[in-house]
Amino acid sequence: MSPLKRERPAQWRSLGDREGRSELRIWREGEFPEGFFGGGGPDRREFLKLMGASLAMLGAARCRWPAEPIVPFAHRPEGYVPGAPKRYATAMELAGAATGLLVTSYDGRPIKIEGNPRHPYSLGGTSAWHQASLLGLYDPDRSRHPVQRAGQDESRASWEAAAAFLRGQFAQLAAREGRGLYVLAAASSSPTLGRLRARLLEQEPRAEWLEYEPFSHEDAEREGTRLACGQPLRVHPRFDRARVVLLLDADPWLAHPAAVRYIHDFSQARRGPAEARPRVWAVEAAHSLSGSLADHRLPLRPSELADFAVRLAAQLFLGLGLAPPAGFGEVRALEAWRGGGRADDLLGALARDLWSARGDALILAGPRVAPEIHALVYLLNHALGSAGRAVTYTEAPEPSRAAHAEAIRRLADRLEAGRVDTLLLLDVNPAFDAPADLEFARRLEKAKTAIHVGPYRDETARLCAWHLPLAHYLESWGDARAWDGTWSIVQPLIEPLWEGRTAAELLSLCVEQAPQRAYALVRETFRDAFGPGAVEDGWRQALHEGLVEGTAWREVMLPVARGEWWDAAFAQAGASAARREGWELVFCLDAKVYDGRFANNAWLQELPDPMTKLTWDNALLLAPRDAQRLGVTDGDLVRVQAAERALELPALVLPGQAPGSASVALGYGRRAAGAVGGGVGAEVQTLRPADGRLVAEVRLERTGARRELACTQDHWTMDRLGAAERELRARRFARQVELRDFLADPHRAVRGEGEFHPVALWREHTYPGHRWAMAIDLDACVGCGACVVACQAENNVPVVGKREVLRGHEMHWIRVDRYFSGDPEAPSVHHQPVTCHHCENAPCESVCPVAATVHDSEGLNVMVYNRCIGTRYCSNNCPYKVRRFNWFHYTKKTGHLEAMVFNPEVTVRSRGVMEKCTFCVQRIQSARIAARREGRELRDGDVVPACAQACPAQAIVFGDLNDPGSRVRAAFDDARAYALLEEQNVRPRLRYLARLLHRTGRRAEG
Amino acid sequence: MPERAAPRDRYPYVLPVWLDRARPWVAVSLFGALPVYLVLLFWYGGSPKTTDVGYAPVQPVPFSHALHAGDLGLDCRYCHNTVEFAAAAAIPPTDTCMGCHAAIAPDSPKLAALRESYATGLPIRWVRVHDLPDYAYFDHSAHVRRGVGCAECHGPVDRMEVVYQWAPLSMGWCLGCHRDPEPHLRPPELATRMDWHPPSDPRESGAALRAALRIAPREDCSACHR
Repeated sequence: MSPLKRERPAQWRSLGDREGRSELRIWREGEFPEGFFGGGGPDRREFLKLMGASLAMLGAARCRWPAEPIVPFAHRPEGYVPGAPKRYATAMELAGAATGLLVTSYDGRPIKIEGNPRHPYSLGGTSAWHQASLLGLYDPDRSRHPVQRAGQDESRASWEAAAAFLRGQFAQLAAREGRGLYVLAAASSSPTLGRLRARLLEQEPRAEWLEYEPFSHEDAEREGTRLACGQPLRVHPRFDRARVVLLLDADPWLAHPAAVRYIHDFSQARRGPAEARPRVWAVEAAHSLSGSLADHRLPLRPSELADFAVRLAAQLFLGLGLAPPAGFGEVRALEAWRGGGRADDLLGALARDLWSARGDALILAGPRVAPEIHALVYLLNHALGSAGRAVTYTEAPEPSRAAHAEAIRRLADRLEAGRVDTLLLLDVNPAFDAPADLEFARRLEKAKTAIHVGPYRDETARLCAWHLPLAHYLESWGDARAWDGTWSIVQPLIEPLWEGRTAAELLSLCVEQAPQRAYALVRETFRDAFGPGAVEDGWRQALHEGLVEGTAWREVMLPVARGEWWDAAFAQAGASAARREGWELVFCLDAKVYDGRFANNAWLQELPDPMTKLTWDNALLLAPRDAQRLGVTDGDLVRVQAAERALELPALVLPGQAPGSASVALGYGRRAAGAVGGGVGAEVQTLRPADGRLVAEVRLERTGARRELACTQDHWTMDRLGAAERELRARRFARQVELRDFLADPHRAVRGEGEFHPVALWREHTYPGHRWAMAIDLDACVGCGACVVACQAENNVPVVGKREVLRGHEMHWIRVDRYFSGDPEAPSVHHQPVTCHHCENAPCESVCPVAATVHDSEGLNVMVYNRCIGTRYCSNNCPYKVRRFNWFHYTKKTGHLEAMVFNPEVTVRSRGVMEKCTFCVQRIQSARIAARREGRELRDGDVVPACAQACPAQAIVFGDLNDPGSRVRAAFDDARAYALLEEQNVRPRLRYLARLLHRTGRRAEG
Repeated sequence: MPERAAPRDRYPYVLPVWLDRARPWVAVSLFGALPVYLVLLFWYGGSPKTTDVGYAPVQPVPFSHALHAGDLGLDCRYCHNTVEFAAAAAIPPTDTCMGCHAAIAPDSPKLAALRESYATGLPIRWVRVHDLPDYAYFDHSAHVRRGVGCAECHGPVDRMEVVYQWAPLSMGWCLGCHRDPEPHLRPPELATRMDWHPPSDPRESGAALRAALRIAPREDCSACHR
């Protein structure tokens, strides 16, 4: 094969890359595709003007910088060491589930969030949402004081006035037993809030408390388990025990409140012995992150899922003779569903695999799956003997509450009927996120008095008579329960920056004779729960640990009951088998802005989506074949016509999307999010059906217009020689090997036939002291992006905005490359975090004219900002494309408030200098100094870079290669270890461990 | 209009001959000496030795280290008590001062600012004397615990009526010690002793200490810059 003849590459980042589209070549060939001065370079006049100005500045500059005051405490708290970071345990609640955190505080201001290793739903890891919540604390757009609105007039109000009003209002309501009082509250597991809610309902018995989440993780699951066993349950997949996992449109490793824990369990299981290695099957419409990790994935339209599930049940019960659980009765009705169907061969292999792993086979259905199918899944898990082992159940909290979708619909009806006198909106934003058919914003005006409590003056707040600011969780005393019920304490790191109060404080104001502050409320709940004796010691212990041990809910095992759902499931399947026409639009939880609540968080907006690598936008994701059929490509606007509404959305082709379906992320198109998130993306809520389902039937049509999408997937492409060359040299970046091949010959499976014997160009360096190195286990990595945000928070990495991302100027020090391979309609996906490799023969160093990037004695490739003159030669010469240039003074406009988020241990870079990953050199230094203070040497595990710390999968290992007992040494010596671009002999200090695929025999070629 | 002068008078003033002879010297000074002068001017004029050493700003309270650390012999750590386990040698809170001054010279007019701070809880705004650039990360504990005495960088504080900057605190100056630490080492437990003198040749005693404490000062950029 001639190297000039371009073959299709084995791995590709995007379809454009695969087809060799010419416009993408700029990302491979030029490091900086666009000039600083708009392409032409500065003209002479401009240059002289700038030079003249800088010379004038030189003359005016004083010899000494301004005097700096030192402001010590007048009364320093005991034990307080100024300038020393301290860590406190707290917890963040998201969608009603708490994750334990350790927050680093520097002179009283929180600067970094990390996972609490003792908390069962963190285990040291975090998600990107947790990491980025820190930026939310310092968001200048956060609501600062109560606002009272009368007609168009809005005026600042005091809390005293608000309190007087609330107490008057609630006293009045109590007089008529609370008739006309409605509370719409975000999901919360806080025991204190629960106690006060009970108090409220006691005083106002006819009031109605509704819980609402725009993207409900639980609605279908609760209803499904209620159908199957008579009582709503919470499902706990045990990825640490399951050997075969089937995900039915479920995304447990990203879009789930317990995702951090699930990633941890799954990665640990994959590290186990090869025989027990879990095999994952995924059947889904949208190409989710979890689906991308599956060994086998079947793209299927949402409507076909019921059919698939019933056929699977038929195959298991009738084909393989699986016995239904005792007392369930016969399953002859399945006879009609045996054989045939769309994915017969895969179904057969899947059923056999599940059957052979009986007891350790786990089936998990996601939030878009119909309740009847959830019930069927419950039945299957029981029949397979997995219930209680590979999947456990606890009683769902508040079993009698209405489903989230039902709650918002009921409230909208009551509003329409004029039955709402007082509406209290607790941390919800239905004017934005309720399905558009409910016309919530219009109906909200019908409430006599609407009170909004939330962190922002958002779309809903602007329509309410009162808006009261809600404190950030880092400012609040509180409590919450983890997904399994573990009692977690929310401890404030800082006094409220403004006048925010907690939801519990607000309720206390409404219902208690003597309103209390949050601390007293939380303590009281604690005392009620654990007895007065436990208060002092137990409380201190709980504060220190961030949780109370042994407070998880008890597992329950309820038998499967046959009911109407059994026939309803067949009806579902029948309907789905019949339907083949039209487009199905799938609504997904966004990996960045969640349901829109993090829209004003610039770290999250700029985080590339794990699958699409899209920043600052949402898009209509289409399968390649469908895009072709519509005649659209990335960025072409598509008119999406739902039942009554239409919306134009930019298309983005995502290999693996189920043909005939399109998916779109919720949470964009905020109108009143703040300076960052306002107007970003399209408001797709308007397409959502009123019944709250997460699937809509739509018509799609090309418009001919375009919108630029800031997608980073083709940026920082590592190989300049082109994809054909890449394949010729059998160079594979994100390697993955079949488990079978690996067991047969690990070396050959991972490294191929070729063996490189590079000739040294330089004298070898010796590193007698420490030799810092990193290893990233691609088998553990799920590509969630927590490391990217953690790095951004730790290293003061600036945000550049959509326009700059479009020009390839994003600044992330660690990026997660995502490659596809195989059939574009059903590709396999590889995630690969890439950061500076700290090459021992660093190509960047030899081209720097001013020695601004040099090696230190421990092998770190360090960047000396003060020496850098911005030639960018280093970046040009970097084979991994990990160097980032400050094209502008990105932090220039940072106000005092936003600047509080900066890590004081890391320099804030100015314009015109190069920067890149430092292996968190500040952490190495502080660990070294701490070790010396204790009179010992550094131990393995003393130094944990921010990315490794945040990783829920613990895929990143850092340490000293000279230490024979270190984990990184073991990783480097692992049979799966390989260096990226090994043949260039740059001797990187970063190695990857190849991913293993565990496919079944028959489908191994797929 | 004046009359046009006769040719003899056309040059009423003739430059003296010596000036003519000096012309090459002017050239030499312009092209030779001036650059040298300018280089020296900026070299020494801009050097921290010139600009920073001796910097002694007026402090809000006329605190005398000569009195407290010198005459009274207070240990440095009595006030700067975080120096051994933190990067910063914290300026003491007002409480520390009032520990003694509640009883000693309680009415001194010099201590008005101190009493006010103690009463109101508002801090005293001291002026920083030793001001490193923000991109240099210095850690006191790493030095004091490893046998670098306070006086090595801060000079004879026990004789300073008003604290001034004694050393240039420039990068070259730091590196001087990092490259050749031996003459600057002392037993760590005596780090705060202002009257300490090496028992023998400083280089010899330093070498022994260096070996005992396994001192290996780093000269990497990453040691101080992040």
